[in-house]
Amino acid sequence: MITLWHFLAVAAALFGIGLVGFLTRRNLITMFLCAEMMLQAVAINFVAFARFHANLQGQVFVLFILAVAACEAGVALALFISLYRRRRSLDSTDWQELRELGVPATVDDEPLQRPVIEPEPTLTPAGARPVPQLTAEEAARV
Amino acid sequence: MNLFALSQTQQAGGHIALAALLGVVGFFLLLPNPRGRFVPGGIAALIASAAVLVSWLVITFGKPVPDLVGTILFVFFSAGALVFGTVLVVQKNPARGAIAFAFVVLSTCGLFLLLAAPFLMAATIIIYAGAIIVTFLFVLMLSHAEGPSDENDRSREPLYGGFAGFAFVGLILFTLHQTSLGAKPDENTLVPQSHLLLPVITPEERKSLGEIATRLEEAEKLLDPDISTNTARNDCLEAFEKVYLPIKNHLTLVVGGAHVPDGVPPPNLSELETFGTFRNGSIRDRLVKLSVKPSGDGPALFREDEQARAIVKRSTIVRETQATTYKAVQRAMGENPDRDAAKAAVRQLRDEVLLLRGASDLPASNVRNLGLVLYSEHLLAIELAGTLLLVAVIGAIAIAHRKGVAK
Repeated sequence: MITLWHFLAVAAALFGIGLVGFLTRRNLITMFLCAEMMLQAVAINFVAFARFHANLQGQVFVLFILAVAACEAGVALALFISLYRRRRSLDSTDWQELRELGVPATVDDEPLQRPVIEPEPTLTPAGARPVPQLTAEEAARV
Repeated sequence: MNLFALSQTQQAGGHIALAALLGVVGFFLLLPNPRGRFVPGGIAALIASAAVLVSWLVITFGKPVPDLVGTILFVFFSAGALVFGTVLVVQKNPARGAIAFAFVVLSTCGLFLLLAAPFLMAATIIIYAGAIIVTFLFVLMLSHAEGPSDENDRSREPLYGGFAGFAFVGLILFTLHQTSLGAKPDENTLVPQSHLLLPVITPEERKSLGEIATRLEEAEKLLDPDISTNTARNDCLEAFEKVYLPIKNHLTLVVGGAHVPDGVPPPNLSELETFGTFRNGSIRDRLVKLSVKPSGDGPALFREDEQARAIVKRSTIVRETQATTYKAVQRAMGENPDRDAAKAAVRQLRDEVLLLRGASDLPASNVRNLGLVLYSEHLLAIELAGTLLLVAVIGAIAIAHRKGVAK
């Protein structure tokens, strides 16, 4: 039988995965989605407790979480636009001068493996450039 | 060292720590890395972690047998949420990450439905559908198509980040285990927590409560006519009384209270509660009976199970409200007639009946109940949430606004 504990365990695991994503990923959009996932996990907890206590306060609280998540999405995406305008990148490490005093800067020392793009083959020009030979009829039309 | 010689707590700690470590290894191998990643190893580690965790859950909280359909749905939705959550975290391409997030939201909505929250399910789908489409637009607008990039192909400290997250999950699970030690299931006894998904109010009771609420609404309308003169007032009260007594008897069958015998009006209506025979009400009867374990001993369910206790408490509230309703109406229709007070008393009883009816509903019909709670108890909070949305919209526009004249 599925009990309250199972729901709480799933919510904790979902929250943990979101936390790992938020801490390790560097793309602002992915980080944002991970934060939303953590909110979902908290919502599962609230609804499970509401069901367990046979009242609706937990569900009401989840509605407020939804409202706050919508606000967060709006402001976060607006921030992404204005950040992108300055650095042309979604990498959060580009903004590391905002870090705490005394914390060393992150330096990416391993080079990215860029795919080797074969240059398109070129042929040395040979022979004479063809000259169009117009027939009398075509010359008349031109 | 013999594993079986360990105490239950040590075993649980070992299981959880093993699952968390395997999870860390899996995420470390799968997270984007400029040196390339080892996908099969990472997936294998994650599957091993999930297997350890599931075996621990089964050992600790019992085999999921009695409610087969519910169990299958629960496993399906929770596995979906966790798998797609993992995909979102380890996926290099943010557009694919957004698709994975859509599936996470859908799975979560399935869990909401299992927990009797259909309105939240619909609201979440609607809101997040919009959010995900907007995220897609942003990915298309802001990402560079060609080649690997710093933001997508590097991770920040994957090992430490993974440790932080999984240490958190492990501690939470361990705490859950510690707090639920008393609820170790036995094959033959009813576990209090196992009643989480049982309907606590039967369909018949729900139907009666719904009818009672409708009839109370009609009874409230009987108080509408002119009450300026004494005779008009008495006529009005008499008509109300004629309708109210059967309603009260009907309600008594469900929540308990004094049952007024048919055709024998009490000598004085203000003594309604001391006249007649006292009944327990079917809710109380059933929950207290259900509470006895099959073997015949053990504590009453409603003393151990929060849900049953909440229902019994709520039905007591209805009974107490109902005991004062008629007196309140009579007082309001007395010397200084105050129609609003009389109607408010009837309406309060109706609200309480509706709340009891929806307190443990399975899907679909507790939407109305949620609305009732939202607009009666949380009106200010709703207004604040609306204001917050407005402020966020203005803030988003102000932040994203391009300074200067558009060219």
